[in-house]
This record gives sequence, structure tokens and C-alpha cells, in this order.
Amino acid sequence: MSGRLEVIWTPVHDKFITWGSDFSLYQVENIREGFSAGCRMSSSTGANLLASTPSTYFAKCVDVYPQSDKDILLAIGYTNGRIILTTFGPTIYDSQGIPKKELFPRYPRQCNAVAWNPIDVNKIIGGLDKHRSEHSVLLWDVVRGSSNYESSNNRNADHPRPISEYGLSETTYSLAWFQNNSKLVAAGMSLKNIKLIDFRDTTKAATSTLTKAVYGVCVDPHNDHYLASFHDSQIYVWDVRNFEKSMVCLTQPKSLMKISWCPTKHNLLGALHKESSLIHLYDIQQSAVANEDFEPSVLDRTVVPGSSKNLTSFSWHETDENRLLTIASNGSLIDYTVFESITLNYAANFNMVWTYGRKTMKCINKSNELFANLDDVSYRMMERAKNGYGLKDELYKNGELVDDDAALANVWNWLYYSEKLVADGTVKNTNSKHPGVRDVLKLDANATKSEAHSTTWLDLPATNNLGVIKQYNHEDRDCALNLCGWHMDTEKFLKFLDRLAEKNAHSRAAALAVFNLRLRTAIDILHKSPDRNLNVVAMALAGFTDDKNSMWRQFCSNPKVKMSDPYLRAMFAFLTAENANYDNVLNENEISVDDRVAFACTFLSDSKLNEYLKSLTTKMISEGNLDGMLLTGNNMDGIRLLQRYLDITGDVQSTALVSVRAFGADLLQETQDWVLSYTNLLDTWQLWHERALFDVMFQAQRPNDKPRQQVFVSCKFCGKSISAYMHGLNRGRGTFSRMGVTANKMKMSACPHCRKPLTRCVICLMHIGTTTGVQDNGDTEANKLVDFSNWFTWCQTCRHGGHSSHIINWFREHSECPVTACTCRCFSVDTISANPTK
Amino acid sequence: MFEAAEINAEHKDLIHDVAYDFYGNRMATCSSDQYVKVWDQIGNEKWTLTSSWKAHSGSVWKVTWAHPEFGQVLATCSFDRTAAVWEEIIGETPGPGERGTRHWVRRTNLVDSRTSVTDVKFGPKCLGLQLATCSADGIIRIYEAPDVMNLSQWTLQHEITCKLSCSCLSWNPSLTNNHPQMIAVGSDDNTAQTGKVFIFEYSENSRRWMKIETIITIMEPVHDISFAPNLGRSYHILAVATKDVKIINLTPIKDNSSIQSGLTKLDVQTVAQFTDHTCTVWRASWNVTGTVLATSGDDGCVRMFKMNYINSWKPVTVLKGDGAVIPNDAHRGSIASSTGVLTPPITQTASYNDSGSMVRNGVNYTLKPTNCPQHIPPRLFKRIRQSFNSI
Repeated sequence: MSGRLEVIWTPVHDKFITWGSDFSLYQVENIREGFSAGCRMSSSTGANLLASTPSTYFAKCVDVYPQSDKDILLAIGYTNGRIILTTFGPTIYDSQGIPKKELFPRYPRQCNAVAWNPIDVNKIIGGLDKHRSEHSVLLWDVVRGSSNYESSNNRNADHPRPISEYGLSETTYSLAWFQNNSKLVAAGMSLKNIKLIDFRDTTKAATSTLTKAVYGVCVDPHNDHYLASFHDSQIYVWDVRNFEKSMVCLTQPKSLMKISWCPTKHNLLGALHKESSLIHLYDIQQSAVANEDFEPSVLDRTVVPGSSKNLTSFSWHETDENRLLTIASNGSLIDYTVFESITLNYAANFNMVWTYGRKTMKCINKSNELFANLDDVSYRMMERAKNGYGLKDELYKNGELVDDDAALANVWNWLYYSEKLVADGTVKNTNSKHPGVRDVLKLDANATKSEAHSTTWLDLPATNNLGVIKQYNHEDRDCALNLCGWHMDTEKFLKFLDRLAEKNAHSRAAALAVFNLRLRTAIDILHKSPDRNLNVVAMALAGFTDDKNSMWRQFCSNPKVKMSDPYLRAMFAFLTAENANYDNVLNENEISVDDRVAFACTFLSDSKLNEYLKSLTTKMISEGNLDGMLLTGNNMDGIRLLQRYLDITGDVQSTALVSVRAFGADLLQETQDWVLSYTNLLDTWQLWHERALFDVMFQAQRPNDKPRQQVFVSCKFCGKSISAYMHGLNRGRGTFSRMGVTANKMKMSACPHCRKPLTRCVICLMHIGTTTGVQDNGDTEANKLVDFSNWFTWCQTCRHGGHSSHIINWFREHSECPVTACTCRCFSVDTISANPTK
Repeated sequence: MFEAAEINAEHKDLIHDVAYDFYGNRMATCSSDQYVKVWDQIGNEKWTLTSSWKAHSGSVWKVTWAHPEFGQVLATCSFDRTAAVWEEIIGETPGPGERGTRHWVRRTNLVDSRTSVTDVKFGPKCLGLQLATCSADGIIRIYEAPDVMNLSQWTLQHEITCKLSCSCLSWNPSLTNNHPQMIAVGSDDNTAQTGKVFIFEYSENSRRWMKIETIITIMEPVHDISFAPNLGRSYHILAVATKDVKIINLTPIKDNSSIQSGLTKLDVQTVAQFTDHTCTVWRASWNVTGTVLATSGDDGCVRMFKMNYINSWKPVTVLKGDGAVIPNDAHRGSIASSTGVLTPPITQTASYNDSGSMVRNGVNYTLKPTNCPQHIPPRLFKRIRQSFNSI
């Protein structure tokens, strides 16, 4: 027994006791506050040894005096049956003569259990092994015993007698006081029953239950009705009101060492198995539904305090929520807090909440820097939506709103550009607004339509201009080049290069110049660059020669010559290309797709071009690379590309907006999901105006699909529609059109069919259609039938209503309907309006 | 550094669930103390308790909001073997000029389960008002309110037997009828060595819910399961909280056999697996776009994971329970996970097996999408339509 280490928290908040061969008192220290010696128990706590008492006999059981608020008083039960009250050093108990006091039975035998009464704190109970002529449960009074001892030094006091006893020739294995009854104790006895001993009358037959589970009897600290005990590998939970049958039996895979109710949480039982480093927690749920008897459920949970060795004991902290201390066979201690399972939720508006401990919640909202650091697409989407992204009439302005995402901005610019090209007739023969390069080229695998012609360098003297370069021409190719932004017109092209140079894209400008066979221009551009390295490249370029055996060529085509700039790489790859094999240019992934495609359109034959564009399109789609829009345009491939982009980024906003702005009505069916998802997003963010604007834009793409009228007004007398009539009026047609012409403000207070008056405003009691006395300026509202304050509105529930301005005024002060005898609380029907968040 | 606001929940026992409404302006909590509480955010900061009532006679496990177009409606489920639907109404005005107090009334009590009801979730709004519950005896029940105006009438439409004790469920939140209705269910059973996540789909042909997939790679008890908002993606993302965090992509495969059977075939791919929570993961919750996942676990931390590229998930933030950020830990996490990502994704192609037995109850009712203007909730729309006849 002495080899086994035990641990117990004391009633003093930060002190605990370990015992094995000796008793040690420890003080818990916070590591941050200058903790040096002692043992570390967790990342933040350690323990310092305060005192230690070697035990003279083999201690068998121990209990801490429940009212130890400063000094610790222990009752230790020994194998010889003695219970010795022990302290660590001098204490306040010394004056009462309590320390070193010994309580012992007449016949020495092992003491199995000792327990202080939690209410009547001077009482202590001991549970002993069997003796045929003595009781095994002995109740002592510590103070009365001691006073006897001091007052008269007689023999009686030398052997203080128990004030009560129970259980003749029975063995007591474990004992537990009830929390709210100072006279009642539960005892596990003689390997056959648990008895509830009432010390008010020990002669009366005790309530008992037949069971082998007599070990570790403990009373639920929150509920005196529940007891737990164990035997071998089974835990039993008892309800003392129905003691015959156990309430729950938990069968364990291994035999048990210890069970203990958690003092800070209801119905939570901790259990430790032999040869295990885990603590099992059982949350025992009982609920009575309409007095039905039904099986309580047990939530099983396992926690790993993190000990490398097997645990020998654990102890719950009395007051700290779910804190427990474990001790392992090698004496190492771990201070562990069982976290309450945290539940959490993430709201659409970036609020996040989680539970912390049992009774508090923590929440963070979108202003938290955490979300800024996350840089998540959802947050970007909301910011963009607020800025009117996608709603700008000029397509390129939408691009300006996403300038933090180059590829996205590029798409909008290209959409703008391609639309312009189609509109001004540069790109002909296409039905779509944003044709892709493949659309424009109309290539198919078999036909060759482009004419090849050989050309020479435009601005080089003939001496180093030996060879010719094959280019391909067709008007479709011209269109494609336009889409790529390669202007055909020399003057424009040179201006374009200047612009690039201004933007510090010298290498790209030079490469484009070379691809357009303007080597001298390229050299000029590189020469003007502020970058020294590019100046050097200009020199290298100047040495260009077509001679296949020249040193220049041999050197430049050497694969070991690496250049970090992709455009320079492409440029030299082009200059050193043999037999019109431009793979090194075409597969240079770091140069923009536009340039690669334009290059291909200039130098590749029809069949090769077709093949190249096809493979490039496939690649772009699989990468979800938005640059691929240039190739696909607004066709089905474009949808696939956007889908892939969406799959990768989650940016449904851009895909929805691009699809609505750029794709034909016939493809909108495919993108319905995106549109719905996006409008739903805007709705959850309460960006209703943005949503409405988006809907308007969306509807504009489908002019044939007019939204249906949402509300119909009919006369309450004849039942005929008034709204249809008003509708006609608005257009200046219909039977009563003459009424609309005479007055700029409509006045119609009677049904046009039966001439009965229309309903009244509940506030001013005027019929709807009658203008109220308040006149507005008229100019701003000239196009409307009635200005908003005179609109008719009504409660959705009681269907009373009136002029909106009157109704608004009324509900500023009331929540009930203004109509006499109507008790409808109209105001509270719609929570969004009633519960303003801003 | 930032500060996490603290709310005193005023519950007497452990809070089991907290749910935001559609907009994130209202919050409902439920607890072992058998109470449900509703919180409103006044202004932009503070959360105020606006309602609190004893909802059940046992621990309340879950609480969930219906889409606001159905009104202010909550559903709860409890250990007392029932699920309930609650609606907020305005009480009697205490005096002239004063606003009536809001309170919640129980519209219905769903008592079909014989064991603890472990989860309850409203279906996507395009399906009307549907409610799915699952219980500890492994039965999933789908209820429907045929008349969205009358929340006290619910019919049990389907009962799906799952064999294992169910702990959590999630509807696929797809917004359109393009995808068939789909539900994922997790089991917390810790005895059977079988897959613990099941995917069910409603088959239009047979008008029954069919099991289309069992994710056999997850054998440990599942504590929470959550579909990410679909957002028009071509695949569905499912987060599973078990002994670790798993993110699973479910890609519908369109081939002949799936067209013939009318059931979706799914390509199941575990794209991420994070053991950062050491032991048990309790909850998983998605952000609005399904690009950030927040989880909580036995280590007492809230962890966030973000999708950087398709199938590439990284831990981004670790928050201690009290709201303190653990900076170093986040770094450590990313190293740990990069090895996690490198492991080849476990792929399995689904084959349909008919082991889920399904029972269809109640009236023969098929849902037709309501033909109403797009942004008027059908409920409101009905009222508008009726209202003009009476004024």
C-alpha cells in the first residue's frame, strides 16, 4: 500500500497533499511569478513542497479536516486501526490539543476508511476490518474527546470511546457522509451491501442494497440522492430513493482504482483505471419526463492529462471549475483542467462566438484585427460589394475596384476592351459581345486558311539580316491580335510600347518589339531603361545575327544562360529559335497569356495554332486562371473557367458579376447558382440596396422576362381590380387615360368600376387617393403618381392601413393598430424593421 | 492586441449550443439547465439577453434558427426525447404607449423519438419549411410544415434508420433545386468498427431518402458535422469533428449509372486532417463562404483553418478559450499541417448500396418551388395577396 501514491486537494485553495510512504504538503505556484524550484505541474503552474511528515505506521486512508482554512489537519487511518490526527508543524489546532490525538478501537485491525463529517465538523468516522466482538463503523467526536482528555487525565480519556458504533462483525470498506445530513453515512460493507447508517438511531435496520460494489462509495456533492461505488471493473450509480436497483451500471474495460464526483459540475463522475494514464469522465443525465421511469443516459468522455507514466490517483479541486490533480506512479504531478466542451458559431456577418467555461461566452466581431489578418475572400467580397463592385456601368471601373487582384482587374479590363472592339467594328463576324480568341479565329483542325508570308526584320540593315521569318496572316488573326491588345497599326503600336516603358515594363516592351520584328526599337527601349542590367541586355541584343553558326547565337542559345526576367528569356528564345520552333516562347508561363496568344497568332501555322490554343485553354480552365477568358470569351468554356476559378477561390461574387455582365442570356441558366448564392450573400450581409441594384442589372440582361406585378389592389365592394386600371393610367392608355392627362397628380378616391369610395386612411380618415393637405414641391416627384408620404401602406396582419407618413408617425409612439377595437400589434410583426441594428 | 468581448451567459449549467440567425444579429443559446436564451445585438457591440425560458425537461442539446422569411422561429432538441419549434410573438401591451414584450411560444412538440434527440436542423429555404432531427437510437426524421403560416402543424414525412446512434446532422445548404436534397449524419458510437459519417439523398424517383455514401475512413465517434455553404461550387465541402478535424470534398460524378439510378454518385476525398486539438474535437463551424473553418476541441482552444487554394487548408489562428491569441502555436500548427497536406488524399469512389432502410410516413406531399416573385418571402406574399381583398 505504501508504494501507491495518492493526492488530495485541501480546502485551502492552492494547497494539496500527496501521500505514499510520507505525507507532503505542497503549495501551488504560478510559474510566471518567479517560480524556481519545486516540480512543474502544467504550463502555468508548479508546486513547492511546504512540509513533510513521515508516517510511523503504514497509513491506510486519510481525510482532510473540512474546515481547514489556513492550516491543514489530517485524519490518518493506519493498518493497526488507529486514526491519528496530524498537522504539518505548529498550527491553530495546537491549543485545542487536537494534533497527535489518537483514536483507536479496542481490537487493533486495519482501518479502511476515515471521513470527517462535512457539517458537524468535529465528528469523524472510521471504517475498520471485521472483528467478531467489535463494531466496524466507529463515530468519534474529536473535540469532546479532547476536552475529556484535558479535564481529567483518566483512563477513559486515554482511550477515548466512540460516541456511536455500528456493524458488529462486519467489514467496512468505504464510507461517505451525505452532504446535507450530518447523521447519515453510506458505508460499503462486507463485500455484500451498501448500508445507509443513520446515527440518530443505529439500532434501526439501515437502508441497504445488496451489491458487491462496496469500494469507493461516494455521495454526489450536488445531490444527496446519488451514490456511486465500484467493484472490480464496474461502476454503479445508486439513487437512494430507489436503492434496491442501481440506476446505472458502467462496465469498464479495466478494473478501477478510484472514482470521484466532480464538486464543481453536476453529475460528473471521474474514474481512474488500473494501469492507465487516462481519466474517464461520465456525465450522468437523468431527467424525469411526466414521471416516467426511464434510463438515464451517460455521456462518456476521456481526457488525457498527459502523463507518461500510469496514474495512481487523482483529486478534483473543490472550487476551481473542473480542475483536477493527478499523480503518477513515479510521483509526477499534473495539474489539469478539463475544458468544458466548447461550442462555437460563426455568423454571416463575421461575428464569432464560443463558450468559455460553463457560464460565459466570448465573442469577436468583424472589426477585430483577427479577420483583417485572415484576408479571407468573404471579407474582401463584402468590402467590394459595399463599394459597388460589378455595378459600375463602365466595365473597367469594376476592375479598378479590385486592383488588389491583378487577374480579376484584368478580366474586367479585357471585357471592357473586347466590348469596345466589337462595338467599333474592329472585331467583326461575331455574335457575342466578348468573343474569345478561339471564337474569333474560327479554327478547325483540318482547314488551312491563313496565308503564310515571309518577312524580314523591319529596322535592321541588310548585313546581319540574312534569314527570313515566316508569319501568318488572316483577317481573323488580326481580330485575335486586337483582342490580345497587340495593335496592328505601327503608330499605335509604338505608342503602346512607350506606355509600357513608362510603366517600367521595359523588358515586356522590348520583347513585344522583338516579336514585332523591331529589333532596333527594342534596343532603344532597353537602352533607355534605368535598370543597368537591361542596358547590358541592349548591348547583347545589338549583336544579334541570323547566322546559325555565329558565336552570338551559340552563346545565347546555350541553355545555361539563365535570365530571371521571363520576357527577356522569351525574347532570346525567339531570336535563337530554329526551324520556327517557338516552344520556349509559347511555354514561358510567366509571360502574360495575352502576349503568348498574340505571339502564337503571329507565328504559328493554323494547325499548330489550333493545337496550341486548345491545350492552353484546357490548361487555363484546369488552373482556373482568369487570363484564360481571353481564349474562351463568353461561351460555355468561359463558364467552365469561371466555375473552376470559383472552386479554387470561393469568389462567387466575381463569377456571378462577370457572368451577368458579360455572358449571354442563353448561358445564364448555367450560372443561376452563382447568382442565387451571391444575392443570398448580399442578403445575409444586409446589403439590400446592393442586392436590389444587382437584381436590376440582372433583369436588364433578360428584357423579355418581365418581373410580375407583386401586389394587386381590388375594390372591396365590387372586387374588380383597381391596380390594373392604375397600371393602364400610368402608360397613358386604357379607359380612363383622360384622367391622367388632366392632373399631374392622380386623384382617385373611388373605385373606377362601381364608383364606391375606396378605403380610408386610418389616421386622417381620408379615402386613399385623396391628396392630403400637405403639398410637396412637385418637381422632384413629378414622375410619380403620389410621393412616398402619401403612399398607401397597411399592416400585414390586421390589414388596416393608411398613408405611409401617418402610419410611420403613429408607430413612432404606439405598437398597436390605430383602428378602434383592433388589438393587432402591427408594429412588431416584422423584426427587421422593429429591431434596427444600425 | 485584440480583446474578445465577454458575455455572461446566465445559464446555470453547461451551454451545449449557440446559434446565430441568418444575419448574425440574434443569437440563441441552450444549456443543460433546460433553458433556451435569445440574445440581441443592440447597436454594433453589446449583446443583450432578450428572452429566456425553460424549453425542455432535460438538457437542451441544440438550437437552430429558421430562415427569417418564415418569421422568428427556433427549433430545439433535448435529452427529454422531444424536439420543439418556437416562434417569437409580441405579448400584451402592459400599458398605453409601451411596447409589448416579446416572448417565445412553443408551436409544436415533436415527440416521435423514443430516445434523446441529439440534433435538429432546418432544411434550406428553397425546400419550404423542413426540419430534420436525429436521435440516439439512430433514427433520422424529416418533418415538414406544409403551411408555412401554421407552425403548429408538422407532418413526419420520412423516417430513416441509421442503425448507429446519431449525434449530429447537417443539411447540404445548396440554394437551388439543381442538387438533390442531401443530409450528412454523424454517429458518436464508439463500439462498432464502421464508418461513422453517412450521406443521405432524397431520390425524386422513389420519393424516399436513400443512403448514398458511408465515409468509411472515419471510424471514430463524430461530434459535429457541417456542410460548408455551397456558393455555386461544383463540389460540396463537409467538415467533420471527430478525434481530429477532417475536411472532406464531395464531388458529384455525372455518369450513366448515376443518371439511371437517379442517385448522385459522390467522389469522396479527404483533403485535410488536423490533429491540432490533440484529443477530441467538439464543434466545427464555417464562415459564410466556406473558406474559413472554426473548430473547438479538448485542448480548450478555438482554431481556425483557411483554404488557400483548392484542397489546400492551413491553420491560421489559435485562440485560447479566454480569447487570447497563441501566436507561436499557430506557426507550429502550420508546420504540423503541411505534413498533413502532403499525405496523399484518401480517395474512394462511392458505390451505391442499399443498406439504409427508409420508411415514408404522412401525406403524399411533394414540394413544388413556390412560384412567387423572387425576393418576397412566400409567407409575406400570401399575406399581401390576401390583404388587398380586405381593405
